[in-house]
Amino acid sequence: MDFIDFFEKFIKVLVRYWDVFLIKGVSVTLSLSAITVFFGTIFGTLLAFGKMGRSRLLRWIITAFVEIIRGTPSLLQIYVGYFIVPLALPFLGLSTYASVAVALIINSSAYVSEVIRSGIQAVDKGQTEAARSLGLTQAQAMIKVVLPQAVKNILPALGNEFITIIKETSLASTFFAGDLMTSYLTVNGKEFLPLQCLLIVGIIYFILTFILGRGVHALERRLSHD
Amino acid sequence: MKKMMVIALALCMVLSIVACAKQADKTNDDEQPVLKVALSPDFSPMEFVDTSKEGQEQFVGFDVTLAKHIAEKLNMKLEIEPMSFDACQVAVQMGTVDLGISGFSWTKDRAENYLISDYYIAGDNETEQVIIVPADKAGQYSKAEDFAGLKIGAQAASLQEMLCNEALPDDTSIELFKDINVAVVALQTGKVDGVAVADGNADAIIANNQDIAKSGFQFDVDPKYENNVILLNQKDEELLKKVNEILADCMANDLYSGWYEEAKALAGIDTAKEISYGDDGKAE
Repeated sequence: MDFIDFFEKFIKVLVRYWDVFLIKGVSVTLSLSAITVFFGTIFGTLLAFGKMGRSRLLRWIITAFVEIIRGTPSLLQIYVGYFIVPLALPFLGLSTYASVAVALIINSSAYVSEVIRSGIQAVDKGQTEAARSLGLTQAQAMIKVVLPQAVKNILPALGNEFITIIKETSLASTFFAGDLMTSYLTVNGKEFLPLQCLLIVGIIYFILTFILGRGVHALERRLSHD
Repeated sequence: MKKMMVIALALCMVLSIVACAKQADKTNDDEQPVLKVALSPDFSPMEFVDTSKEGQEQFVGFDVTLAKHIAEKLNMKLEIEPMSFDACQVAVQMGTVDLGISGFSWTKDRAENYLISDYYIAGDNETEQVIIVPADKAGQYSKAEDFAGLKIGAQAASLQEMLCNEALPDDTSIELFKDINVAVVALQTGKVDGVAVADGNADAIIANNQDIAKSGFQFDVDPKYENNVILLNQKDEELLKKVNEILADCMANDLYSGWYEEAKALAGIDTAKEISYGDDGKAE
């Protein structure tokens, strides 16, 4: 393989299709990840509290759910989201984008629930005990004492989840959901320059995750000073 | 600290609202029934994406023209569901889509699990099946035995995989890839010694990759594999009849060759070829 030739074609693809990668691909990847993390956090929080709750049945169901989601490949979950969910709930009329998002949200909520649960449980038990002995109810102790400390553990981990999801959304390209990897598939399907297209996509993914990673790092530092 | 969280949350909300709004305007307001077709638009010139267009308009290529024609004849509204080649077959089996039109060839296994339409002919795309190799080795191969002991790549669950299994010597190792593009990377990086592809795809690949060439070898393709077919769900006997009638009509009116030339022109195969022979090496 000739390096100059390779580079020339790299530039050619970039010049001709930069908007497909940078505008279409990046916007779908980012919006899909943001939606996933947003709803994943909401459902993940509910799951985490359910798992720490009193109902044994609920705890058992949530544990089973989390184990199944964490124990199966995300690609398989996206197949299920695309094929089975619309079959089970046809009245929703989910688009490709929406059904892929549903699959990613389900996936993310399982991981986030563990992040939140461990974040809360990492707060020393003595904190709750002290709050309780000062006369706060269980709920007050949780909201006023434990959660503010837990957030410090949870937020950076959520940032990392966002980064993971950005990479995970590439699986949505199986159904051409429009993300960055879909840009690769469509451009390459026409040009047949797989290495060049992959390199472009790879660089963009790296820039996205690197910037976010720096952001998470800064957040982490700030939180440790608070 | 709080401010940052508020901003982050607000951003998420806005993004999800935007996403929902996008979906809302997708609902059909007209009564025309919808014909859903699955295809894998990463396979120029059969089906690929015109990146300058949006939505359903962006899908172009031979199979897309055919799908449009069928929908028109059935008086239905065409809706293309893009997905990977293997997912197309799942979609037909699950009944998620009505038709799978993605350059499928007839194989025994497919005939067992799907209803298969009559043939349609996409130019010379399928009638000739070749093996592409690094350009500097193109002269070394002329018959199947020349590939003995080598690694040959093919797309999984494709006609090419079956041809490789049938025609190549026993000690040729056949490496399967999820899609043809990955197989091309494998060829360029020396992971495999050759890749089996349909002739039309080979042209498209070579047009942009001068380090690849067709070997002298061509598969002896049994006529029953030469052409493409449409996959249908086993329950859709009625639709199959109608589709076959439309295909017979296309054949009788000789629509295929025009469509194929059109698709090739759209894919820029001919132009790209000319440019690639220019001596300044610059394409465009």
